[in-house]
Amino acid sequence: MQTKNSSLGDRFAEVTVVVVTVIALLAGWMFKSSVENRSVSFDVNGISGQTPAGWLQAQVQDDEVLHTLDISSGDFSTTYIVRKFPVAADTPFGQIASLLTLERGQQLTAFRVLEQQRVTVAGHEAYEISYVFVESDPNLTHAQFPKVVRGMDIIFLNGDQAAVVTYWAGEGSFELDLGRFQQFLKSLKF
Amino acid sequence: MSESNHQPAALRARPHVWRDELILIAGLIVFVGVVYALDSAFHTLLTGSNLLVAGVIIAFVPAFIWLTFFYLQDRLEPEPKQFVLGMFVLGAVLAAAIGIPLVENVFRVSHWLYTYTMTTLIGGILVVGFTQEFIKYAAVRYTMYHSDEFDEVTDGIVYATAAGLGYATMLNIQFVVSNGGVDLGAGVIRMAVVALAQASFAGITGYFLGRAKFESEPIWWMPLGITLAAVLNGLFNWLRGRVVQSNLSLTGASVNPWLGLAFAAVVAFVTMGILVWLMRRALQPAQAK
Repeated sequence: MQTKNSSLGDRFAEVTVVVVTVIALLAGWMFKSSVENRSVSFDVNGISGQTPAGWLQAQVQDDEVLHTLDISSGDFSTTYIVRKFPVAADTPFGQIASLLTLERGQQLTAFRVLEQQRVTVAGHEAYEISYVFVESDPNLTHAQFPKVVRGMDIIFLNGDQAAVVTYWAGEGSFELDLGRFQQFLKSLKF
Repeated sequence: MSESNHQPAALRARPHVWRDELILIAGLIVFVGVVYALDSAFHTLLTGSNLLVAGVIIAFVPAFIWLTFFYLQDRLEPEPKQFVLGMFVLGAVLAAAIGIPLVENVFRVSHWLYTYTMTTLIGGILVVGFTQEFIKYAAVRYTMYHSDEFDEVTDGIVYATAAGLGYATMLNIQFVVSNGGVDLGAGVIRMAVVALAQASFAGITGYFLGRAKFESEPIWWMPLGITLAAVLNGLFNWLRGRVVQSNLSLTGASVNPWLGLAFAAVVAFVTMGILVWLMRRALQPAQAK
């Protein structure tokens, strides 16, 4: 048996393997994107949109019209919540933002507002509040570290109705999953 | 090593190879059985960091048993042990530095791969399979492939399985660490099967590499080898995760992962059987002289 040095054929084979692997990984990336972008329609209480497929639809509470979470997203399940409630006509964004911040401060552990600003979402004027809180399992026998969660509320006003779209994700996946949330946000129709 | 001084070593008889292989497989079965029994009896004693350390140690044992098993297959001229161990370490390092971060952090497979049955299969082949098999291929192709020690087709299998076992060990350690320790009884079986599977799929690539080096194969030969290994890898992962029996009762729900693991083990064992057959077939011409 004769040992060959690197021949032209060897080099071609080597390059072909790299090319095939790169093509497979690119196809894998496109496949990943198509799976992540799969969505299902919802239309509840005058709000419609496209929610990610395969996510768990949780029982809605109080003024919630949608509460969906991705149970495969690591320690903390990435969550989208859509709420709709009546407000007095001409209520400014700032007032609703203050009420919402007060409510979050009472309900969430170690709640801190990071930033708030006026934004435009798909041509609609809105108000964005970014914040952080700590999620802790209330079961004292459950030995697990509390998780730091980043959140974002987007407030929309439409006459005497306000809609609040909430995005919660673990601090490690917040930025990575933000694009998908923005896609969800753009799909919403009030 | 040249042809002339290779042959005397090649013809050195190793009559106890069958016995050694049987002892190794029996040893692995005994090891798995002992860990399983100890876990059943004393599982409450091992917690926290002790459980973590025990899991990491246990991750190495099946890998070394399978490494010895595949090493014994190279009967003509066993490869230098330090090179085989070096390939094992290289496989582990590449897995920790490139393979696992690419699959877990860039492709973030845990977020989408297990959504649907077909997603697991297709994504498992394209992302997990190709990443893992290319890394094992690269470990051999860019190191031992040009070495004089790589002087038979079966050497490709030996070096590639060593890289595969290094990769498997790192996967098993990651499995233990990310779960903060594992149920050692179930974990040891999973680790033994994962080690065999990663070694066998790498062995397929290694066989194609060996043939590519010593025979004039067409340009599609090596890509075919990688693709075949990636498809088997994806099929193995799909079977391991998907064929799960669920039992629902008034007292709650339970999941039985054994069926999936058994099917996956069948894929791994069949692949290993084919590899062993290919290695013995490659040895026959020299032994016949």
